[in-house]
Amino acid sequence: MSDLDDFKATYFDECSELLTELEEQFAAIEAGERDADRLNAVFRAIHSIKGGAGAFGFSAMVGFAHAYETLLDYVRDGRVELTDEVVSLCIRANDIVADHVNAAQSGDDLPADYGADEKARFDALARGDSAEDEEGEPIEDFDIEFTPVMVNLDAPASGEAPVADAFEAPPMQAETGSWEIRFTPHRALYARANDPLLLFRELAALGRMQVVARLGEVPPLSDFEPFAVYCSWEITLSAPELSEAAIREVFEFVDGDCDIVIAQAGSAPFAGASFEDSPAVEAAAAAQDEPDLSSLLALTEDEMNGGPLVADLPEPVAPPEDFAPEPEAAPAGAQDAFEEAPALSFTALAEAIQPAPAPQAAKPAMPAAKALPAAGEGDEGHRSVGVQSIRVDLDKVDRVVNMVGELVITQSMLTQQMDETLRARYTELVRGLEVLAQTTRGLQDSVMAIRAQPVKSVFSRMPRLVRELASKTGKKIKLETIGENTEIDKTVIEQLSDPLTHMIRNSADHGIEDPARRLAAGKGETGTIRLSAEQAGGNILIIVEDDGAGINRERVLKLARDKGIVAPEITPTDEQIDQLIFAPGFSTAEAVSDISGRGVGMDVVLSNIKKIGGSVHVRSWTGKGTRMTLRLPLTLAVLDVMLVKVGGGPYVVPLSSIVETMQCSRANFERVPSGGRVLQVRGEYVQVIDLGQRFGLPNAVAAEEQFVVLCETEGSQKVALVVDDIIGQQQVVIKSLEENFERVDGIAGGTILGDGNVALIVDVQGLRSTHIHQNAA
Amino acid sequence: MTLRVLTVDDSRTILAMLHHTLSNAGFEVLQAEDGKQGLDLLKAESVDVVITDINMPVMDGIEFIKNVRATGQHNSLPILILTTETSQDKRDQGKAAGGTGWIVKPFDPEKLISVIQRVVH
Repeated sequence: MSDLDDFKATYFDECSELLTELEEQFAAIEAGERDADRLNAVFRAIHSIKGGAGAFGFSAMVGFAHAYETLLDYVRDGRVELTDEVVSLCIRANDIVADHVNAAQSGDDLPADYGADEKARFDALARGDSAEDEEGEPIEDFDIEFTPVMVNLDAPASGEAPVADAFEAPPMQAETGSWEIRFTPHRALYARANDPLLLFRELAALGRMQVVARLGEVPPLSDFEPFAVYCSWEITLSAPELSEAAIREVFEFVDGDCDIVIAQAGSAPFAGASFEDSPAVEAAAAAQDEPDLSSLLALTEDEMNGGPLVADLPEPVAPPEDFAPEPEAAPAGAQDAFEEAPALSFTALAEAIQPAPAPQAAKPAMPAAKALPAAGEGDEGHRSVGVQSIRVDLDKVDRVVNMVGELVITQSMLTQQMDETLRARYTELVRGLEVLAQTTRGLQDSVMAIRAQPVKSVFSRMPRLVRELASKTGKKIKLETIGENTEIDKTVIEQLSDPLTHMIRNSADHGIEDPARRLAAGKGETGTIRLSAEQAGGNILIIVEDDGAGINRERVLKLARDKGIVAPEITPTDEQIDQLIFAPGFSTAEAVSDISGRGVGMDVVLSNIKKIGGSVHVRSWTGKGTRMTLRLPLTLAVLDVMLVKVGGGPYVVPLSSIVETMQCSRANFERVPSGGRVLQVRGEYVQVIDLGQRFGLPNAVAAEEQFVVLCETEGSQKVALVVDDIIGQQQVVIKSLEENFERVDGIAGGTILGDGNVALIVDVQGLRSTHIHQNAA
Repeated sequence: MTLRVLTVDDSRTILAMLHHTLSNAGFEVLQAEDGKQGLDLLKAESVDVVITDINMPVMDGIEFIKNVRATGQHNSLPILILTTETSQDKRDQGKAAGGTGWIVKPFDPEKLISVIQRVVH
């Protein structure tokens, strides 16, 4: 059932887009933009979610969405007023729909009465204003017939109908199930592209059929109106146990567009009034009319070419050929009647008529004119009209990203192979390589751009969050967003939502003061949180800034000391104190508040951001506000690293975790009782990890010529990595060790350097954890 | 001759399901995400039958059908309305606009094909 899984994947993708759209629309609706377009968009989103849910049999979701949709429909046409209460009900409903979608996606079950209160509210609202709708719609029990979609699809092999079979199949039966049908189409039937021939074909599949065309109403040529309806038919249909309902069903689509009388053969109604009423002539007329019709057609063709008749043609309603049943549909008498009426005449008539009122009709306009072979030829080039984007599986894009990565490596490898003598000798080759380098970089940028998405999708969820926070805390908060169209790698965006939510919660909860305090501090009542995104070099900066009270450093420091995060003898700088809010287990709120709470602090933000290769920095101004800056890589596939040497071999350390590098002697390392070693850096003791020792490599340089790479790990903990040499910064393409080899502790992955050598990526966080573990053991 | 079906729906899920069902049944499938796109496609392509959703952005199904008929170029092009509406309203509106017939969502594949065969030659 992989097809079904594919559809589901498409569906859930679509749902998440629709839910985002709902958020956006309601943000605007809440802000007072209650126009019809927004309501329609909301309705459509819910409608689409419901439609897919129905197809996959998510009946609980369908039930809820249906009730919600019904309310929206009532709101749309004004039966229910869109009050603030309705808006907030809708916002809650969106969450419930989202929960349904999530539950369906993860295969979880929601409680049976999930959203029952809201649903009851919908019903009440929907009933409240419309007394005549006593019964209401079947909101409670929306019945879903679920049919798996892809089974037994080899049934009908093409659009061809089994006409011949239908005529042969049912043998002549006793007249018990014999019906007589009188069928008089109206113009509207043709205007809606229904075709009596197709109806006959369908009827013929029900039993043995005889069709007689009644042409008595065809007027003299002078009165002939090409698009008027002059034909009606009488059909005799016989099959055992053929019900009237089965016949009626054939005429389902043309109900109201024709007069139809169905009666048991020989019964009174058929011979009675309804038949007599119609101005038709006797049933046998068809055969007798044959010569007249032929001459009519011949004449018509001539006249049409002449022109004048064509000029006052009424609006085209039905193709002329529809006026006559084709021989296959009328095997009995009628067939003879039309044998002499050449099909070409009809086509010619169609051709003759068409260009006159619509000169642009260069192509045959009607599929019905199938005799014309030109239909659809030469159209191939226009296939993609109206399509500006395509959807591509992310895997495919990643494959391209990967290959481009390889290309970049090969290219830089080639460049490095060129030593001075080669450069002097092969100038053309050098020029070629330079062009290659340029093109490769361009290609890399373009490919990365494919994966990039505007941060808007995340930013758009925040206005609502801020509103909720404001109402919960009783504060007045305004959210400003800047740079929503800044693009970041899709994976980064997906990881961004949680940290950002947390940071904004933090700002609203701890940063912005309540209105009274703000007024007392000489600020406006309403606090502002500014959320902005911008590109800075190879990074994206996301800044959450508030104009609140700033970080209460005194309290933060006291708390940090109480929790043992900062040793009593150390006096951190203001900036260091600010960073403490990211320390694990740190929370400045004395009581765990409903908002920032949930038992996790800002340290989670930091670790989430680190996971995607980013960093967080906080800066605060007492009484003026706080600014938190997220620095994120543009992409995850390429990593900015510091290339170092350990035991003679190359290793790389992710640049995002490096604080500084320095040269120092082993003599500076101090032993601590636990057996580990530490290095004092500006009064702070930092744990030392000797990479050579850790990886079992020989010492390649003298003890006093060691280099130290100072790294920051999760929760602002620092470690000093001891390496032999520092070579420089560069970008590398990450290769997974797990996929190509196996997981190795302390190594985050591998990469291939420009000279073709493999370098391992040091997993700073992992190293630190295992180190602590080893020391403890 | 392979019949060409133009499917018009703003839901990618529905488009994908239609595509699967129809192409398995031997139809050639064209896709549009709203009435406007559908109309543009019809200008350039010849199709044998159209299946359209009603609720769509930019141009909804009703407008789309009206516009198709108003061109005067597609008088006998069967247009099927895809609808989940339990009420008769949308269906009637679609018919009044010039719709040939309808398909009720969620559709099962065999029913879908048989409805199409009802309206094409």
